[in-house]
Order: sequence, then structure tokens, then C-alpha cells
Amino acid sequence: MGYVSARGGLGAIRAAERLVRRLRVTSESSWLEEDQILEKLRLLVDRVMGEAGLWAPRLAAKALRQSEGDATEAVHLLRAYRSTLPRVSYSEVADADHVRVVRRIVPAFQRVPGSQLLGRSIDYTARFLERQSDDLAREEAEKMRAGTTTEVNEAPDSSGHESDDLSRSPKRLLEMLREMDLVVDRRLTDDPEPFDITRTPARPPAPRSALLSSMTRADTGALVNQWYRNILGPDGYLHEVTLGEVRHGSLSVNVTHPVTGESVNVTDVRVTEVEAIEDLEGIDEDRTRFDVGYGLCLGHNERKAIAMANLDIACHRDGGRTQLEQSLLLTTDALDSAGFLEHLKLPHYVTFRSMIERKIAVRKARRRDDD
Amino acid sequence: MTTINELIDISPSDELLDEFAKREIRRAILSAVAIPGYQVPFGSREMPVARGWGSGGLQVTLAVVHATDCVKVIDQGDDDGVNAVNLRRLITSSTGASETSVAAEATIVQSRHRIPEDGLDDKSILVLQVPVPEPLRGVERDMRELARMHAEADYSRMWVSLYEDKVRNGLITQTTGYPCHVNGRYVVATTPIPRWDIPRLHDSSFLTLFGAGREKRIYAIPPRTEVKPLTFDDVPFEVERADGARCSLCNSDDAFLVSLPNSPVWMCSDTDWCRRRRELTR
Amino acid sequence: MTNMVEYGRYPVARLAVPEWMLRVEKLGKVYGAHDDEVIASTGPESGTSKSSLNGSIVAAWDVSFEVAAGEALGLVGESGSGKTTVLRCLAGDLSPSVGNARLRTSRGEVAMFDLDSAERRLLRIDTLAVVYQDPAEGLKMNVSAGGNIAEPLTAAGWRSFGKIRARASDLLTRTEVPINRMDDLVRGFSGGMKQRVQIAKALANSPSVVLFDEPTTGLDASVAAGVLDLIRSLLEEHRIAAIVVSHDFSVIEMLTSRCLVMQHGRVVESALTDQLLEDPHHPYTQRLVAAARA
Repeated sequence: MGYVSARGGLGAIRAAERLVRRLRVTSESSWLEEDQILEKLRLLVDRVMGEAGLWAPRLAAKALRQSEGDATEAVHLLRAYRSTLPRVSYSEVADADHVRVVRRIVPAFQRVPGSQLLGRSIDYTARFLERQSDDLAREEAEKMRAGTTTEVNEAPDSSGHESDDLSRSPKRLLEMLREMDLVVDRRLTDDPEPFDITRTPARPPAPRSALLSSMTRADTGALVNQWYRNILGPDGYLHEVTLGEVRHGSLSVNVTHPVTGESVNVTDVRVTEVEAIEDLEGIDEDRTRFDVGYGLCLGHNERKAIAMANLDIACHRDGGRTQLEQSLLLTTDALDSAGFLEHLKLPHYVTFRSMIERKIAVRKARRRDDD
Repeated sequence: MTTINELIDISPSDELLDEFAKREIRRAILSAVAIPGYQVPFGSREMPVARGWGSGGLQVTLAVVHATDCVKVIDQGDDDGVNAVNLRRLITSSTGASETSVAAEATIVQSRHRIPEDGLDDKSILVLQVPVPEPLRGVERDMRELARMHAEADYSRMWVSLYEDKVRNGLITQTTGYPCHVNGRYVVATTPIPRWDIPRLHDSSFLTLFGAGREKRIYAIPPRTEVKPLTFDDVPFEVERADGARCSLCNSDDAFLVSLPNSPVWMCSDTDWCRRRRELTR
Repeated sequence: MTNMVEYGRYPVARLAVPEWMLRVEKLGKVYGAHDDEVIASTGPESGTSKSSLNGSIVAAWDVSFEVAAGEALGLVGESGSGKTTVLRCLAGDLSPSVGNARLRTSRGEVAMFDLDSAERRLLRIDTLAVVYQDPAEGLKMNVSAGGNIAEPLTAAGWRSFGKIRARASDLLTRTEVPINRMDDLVRGFSGGMKQRVQIAKALANSPSVVLFDEPTTGLDASVAAGVLDLIRSLLEEHRIAAIVVSHDFSVIEMLTSRCLVMQHGRVVESALTDQLLEDPHHPYTQRLVAAARA
């Protein structure tokens, strides 16, 4: 082993790491348990799993604790861990029709077979910041847990469903629209292999499965912003979208046993699924029908799934005219964008020296021309 | 069919990449070497370092390194740069390879933004970290059009931008990452290495691999390959030079020098070269 | 030598030239499904290019002609006549539905429509050039005049900055663009000046065929006259096989020796330009000639 310089770089890194660890674990508040994160910050855990493209709630909780709440950093920890794991198998096709819903609304109709199931949602709750003291809040929580408050006993069935026709896997609105012949049918008949973006980078023009997988793992903020710009921005155009299904529920993931050949359930994941019904009014489009965009992501993340479904149909209608597909495939990943942005903090003094040299050379050339 | 236990055996838990990922990356490297300068897409994995911080270079190194290798890692030419230190300890601790700062002793050199001034030979592999692998991105945004331009070797828009540059500024003002024509076929982005280092890519004795983790591309310049910086026949390719500048530590004027802000004090960017120079003159 | 064929009631000279540079045979472009009946439901006698049977548009059908080196052929008709469709098929901007086009190049005879898009693009570098009605189609607006000319030169392999610049400045001089504007971005030029730059660019690699699509439409009359004059002298100077598309017979008269009159996608009359102007047969031609004379 040859000479190894040890001037100070390693020392600096180690000192920084010590600082990080110390503040993470030695501050005065009590230890943050994984269960607390899983239960009390479940939506953050869901978001991180969705952006990591990895269903592993407990690992996501660990990652959030380690990253001190930085969601993108937590996503990085999960994805880097995933890179160390060999791919053991592929699941059987999971049919989203079999999602067991805990929440299901269909804005396009007032009533639907299978009922509108409001579920556990804050959508219609007023956004009042609860400002009571920590002790009081804890006291109330204790009472609720013990079942001693009147509120619990007075509330109607907390699922908020509207009719008796309660189905855990209700018939999809899209099916009903198909029966009414109101939807353009774009289903593929040849069952192509889905595009695996973790094995092959997707570039436009890419198959729809590549676009959907990229969006399902996209940064939530990036996707919402893409949607907003597409609808309202100077480069966007008007869409007349009504949501069909908005669902949240659990889905069984099965694999075929390598020896017995039987279908074995390995886990249940929770997903959010959205169908966006778009009114077709373009010159070359079928004015007598709708088309539908699809969104699905891991965990409970409605704004992401809605943005995804909208952008799916927007991209299809765009047909390659603009660079929307390129934007969606290549600029929405949390780690790519954040990493590249923050890499600016790395030393760039070689490039900077080179830039100064060219500036001096240009000035010299101009002086020569003036003479 | 491989069993789960077999997979666990060959993918020890302290490795950063599973064995199948390494095979995929090696295949991409082979394609890249077979087609000098062609950007080979690969399933870039997430690494413990962030995108933009060397995840591509790291994957390339991990795919080719063995425990018997000796690894040098530099950033801006400095072995002691914090990012280089971080990457080096990741590589050595997860693979058992030894480390050095002497390029002539290294079998693999992973570098951000520099080629070592000397020491690379036909037993060396140089792995360069690439932020943006696309040389044409200044003249075209659409990826479909970029793919066509490379496929058809239609680089006329690049030439027009060089023409406009020379007309506007009196010379070509490309700084680092100067576009080069490799093996007479593909134009490549030579990552942000300074123009000073470009001539050493031409007809080199060593293999150069370029890893772009975020953009998910690998490309290569094999040894003994023609590498020509794009310029007009009558416009000389200029490297960075400052008249009379010498390293204040080792007195070199034949290495790439960097300075302090607004100061006449220069230093070698290649710190190990500087150290050895000083030892020689002692 | 011409032989006459019947097209409806009017004779159409089949213009055969002994040493053609470009020969087009039965070129057709249809948007939508088509068969013989659909085709027959369109054309001058139906008074439309759009089929009443299925709405398909027969933009051009059964167009044949030859052009020799050193001569200019006109395609004249109102908008919707199919003349621009024919030009764009030859330029490679559109793919024809039927027909073929043969080009005689230094490398031998080429069946243009059999080439793939990459090969068509190679043709556009040094064999076939196009001057569009809208200069923004043929030029990069945020590039200088010289830079626009540098594009085809570098595509053809020119690598000397000095020589590129000399050639660009020669071409700009020839097209009467002030040399002190050579390094200005084309975006800031007047319409007439942009067309001159486009013409200079088209001639950069001395192509054997140049297609002009309404080269002066949209320009002021005096500016247009200057550009037309320039084109005419350039055509005389170089042995170019040119096709000039225009709705304006006065442009055709000035630049071409033979021309085809198109209406609703078909050729309705063809003859020497002088003869057509003196003695138009088809009522449509008569209308166009009268308009030009007015």
C-alpha cells in the first residue's frame, strides 16, 4: 500500500458525523420510537415508501428517524439499502380490482354501486390548528382511548358510508362507463412485458408502463407542480377532468411458490388509486367519448395519485408534441433532482479556474482586435 | 435456478451493490468499450452517495474492483478532498481493496474533474465521475432529437455553436468538459476535466470509463483510441495556462495549477504529484 | 419533344426532357383511406380535394414531371391546389402515399422515396436544397447569418474557420446581404433580407436541385422584385434544376421556362411558360393568367 495522504479530509468527515449522531440521540426529549413514527406520522411514512418505491413501513420509519424528518434523505436511505438486496422474485400480477377499500369516492356521480365511502379523511374538516397545551391534548387522547368521552359514542358509524350497499372491492366506475360505451378503449391486447425503470432508464418515446412507473416513484411535490404548470402554466393547456375512482385500500401481493407452484401471499400493501376522466374535445379526438388517466402509488397519498392520473392522460393526449413526456420521465425523481442540486456544494475550483482562464483569454483577444 | 441461500452467500450484506447489479453494470461497460464514445444506458442503482456526487463513478468502480486492486480516489486532483475520502473509504471497506495516493501504484483511479498528471499505464483503469454525459445539451433539449443526432453522427449544430463562439468572442470559450470526437464517430462530453487533461485521453495507454449515475449512462475511451477535441483546423485547441505561473510549493509549471482568489499564489491541483515533486527536489 | 395526353377535355403536354436531373412519376399524397373510387371522387371535375365518400383528402395525385439541370419548372395554382404538397414530398418534409422520384447525383441515380430519413437528410446537405416561404423554417433565428451558412458547410465536412467564413461571405455578397451584418442574428433581419440569407444557405454546397416554395410571398412588392431578380440570376449562373412553387403567375413567368398548373391536387395543364401565358387552355389556367395580368 502506497503513501496515503491523511491531511485532514478524513478528520473533517468524522467530526461532522460525530456531530450529526450526537444531536440525533442526545437531545433532551425522549427517544423517538419506530411505532410512534409509524402510527403518528403515517402519512409521512407512506409518502417516503411511495417515493422510494419500496414497501417496508418499519424501515421507512427508521429512515425518517435517522434523517431527522428529511423525507428525501429518508428516500435515499431506503433506495440505497434496496440496491444491496438481490431481486429474489417477481410477484404475480396484482389486480387493482381486488383492492380492499377503506376509502372510496367517485366525484363523477352522486351515487354509485358499492357506495361512496368517505373513510378516514380530513377533506371536509375545517383546518383549525389545535392549540391546546401538550398536556391537555394528551389528556384528551387518553380519555378517547379509554372510551370515556361522549364524542365517540355519539358519532355515527365512522366509516361515513352512505348506503347499505357496502362492498370492500366495489365495481369500478370505468367498467360502468365502458358498458355505457362512453370511454375510448385503449387496452392493449398483447400483454407486453412492463418496462422496468430500475433496470433500464426510460427515455422518450417510452411505453406507458415506463411513464406510470416513473410517476409512481416521483417526488410528490414535483408531480403536483408538473400538474399545476400543465393546467395553468404558459406551456400548459386546459383540461376538463372529472375524477372517477379515488380509492385507498390494501392489496395482496402474491408470488408463485418455486417448488409447489402455488400462489403464496407474501404481504399486503396499501395503495392509493385514482382514475381521471378526461373530456375529449381535440380536433382528432372522439368527441362522443371520454378517455381515462390512471394513477397508483404505494401508501396513502391522494394528491400524488390524482396528479399522476391527470398527467397520464395529459401525456397521452400530448402525443409527443411537447416535451411533457420528457419532463415526467426525467425531472420528477426526488433523488436525481435533490442530489444534482446539492452537488453544487462540492468543490468546483478546477472548473472555476478554467472559466477564469477563458475570460482572461477573451479579454486579451478583444484588446488585440482593438489594436 | 439460483436459490435464495445462494443469493445470500454471494451478496454479503456489507456490499453496496448486489451481485446481479454488478453483472449488469459490467455488461454495460463491455458495450461501452466495444463502441468507444457511445453512451450506454444502464440500470443505475442508488448508492450511499447522492446522485450528482459520484454514484455513477462508484457503480463503475464497484463493478470492476477486486480485493486485489489498489484504489486511488481524487476530487479536483486532491486525494484528501472530503468527497474523495468518503468514496475511498466506501470502496475499500466494502471490497477489501487497498488504497494509495500514488497513481503509479493504483490499478483503479476514480476521479472527479481531473486526470492524474502521471502514473497511469496499461494496467490502470481511470473511472471519471460524470454530472452530464450529453455533449450536445447546449444546442438541443429534446432527447429524441439528441438520440437522432448521435445515431446519424449529425453534429452540425455543435459546429455552428463553435463557429458562433469564435465569431462572438474571438476564440472558442468552452471551459471544461470540452467536446471531443472519439474514434472518429461519437462526440463525447469529457466530464468537467480541464482542457489541460484532454490530450492525455488521446492514444492513451490506460482505459477510461465514464460513469453518469443520475443520467444512467456509461461510456468509455479504450486505450489507443483517437480522441480529437472539436475545433476548426485553423483554430488551435488551447489549454489553461497562466504566463509565468508556478506552483508555490513544488515550482512546477508543467502541471495544472489553481490559485487563491485574487492572488498570484499558485498550487498544483494534483496534490500527490506536487508531493512527489517536492520530494524529488529535496 | 412533347407528347400530348388527354386529361379531361384539355391536352396536357407530357414534358419529357432528355437529360433530366429530377424525375417524378405519379406522385400522390392522400390523407385518409383511399381506393380508386375515393380518388375518382376528387379533383377538378368534382371541384374539391376532399372525397364526398369518406372525407379523405387527396392533396395530390398523379403528378409527373422531369426537370433538367439549368432549367426551372413552375408549379402554379391557388392554395389547396397541391403544389406545396408536391414540394414538401420532394423536400422530405412529407411522405408521399404513392409514386417515385428519381434523382441523378454524382453518386448515381437515387430513388428518393426509397431512402430512410437519415439518407434523405444526407441528400439535403449537398444535393437538394429548399427555400421556404417562411424563413424561420429554413433558418435558425438565434444564429448569425454566417452561422446559418456554416451549418450546411460543416455538415458537408468543412473544418476550416477561415474557409467557412470566406465562403459564407461570398454567398452573402452574391445574395446582396451587407457583409457588415454577417455576424448579426438573423432574427433581427427584415423579411427580404432573411430570404436572401436563406437562399445563400441553400446554395452553400452547390446543390444540383433547389426547391423554392413561394419564395417571395409575404414580401413587399419592391423587395419581392429584388429577390426574384436575384433568384433568376442565380439560376442562370449555376446549372441548377429548380422547382418554383407559386400561386402568382408573374413569379412563374419571371423564373421558369416550363410549368404545371395544379388544381384540387391534379395537374390540369402543362406547357412552356410562355405558351401558357399567351394561350392558356384550361379555364382554371385562364383565370390565373388573367389575375396575373391584372
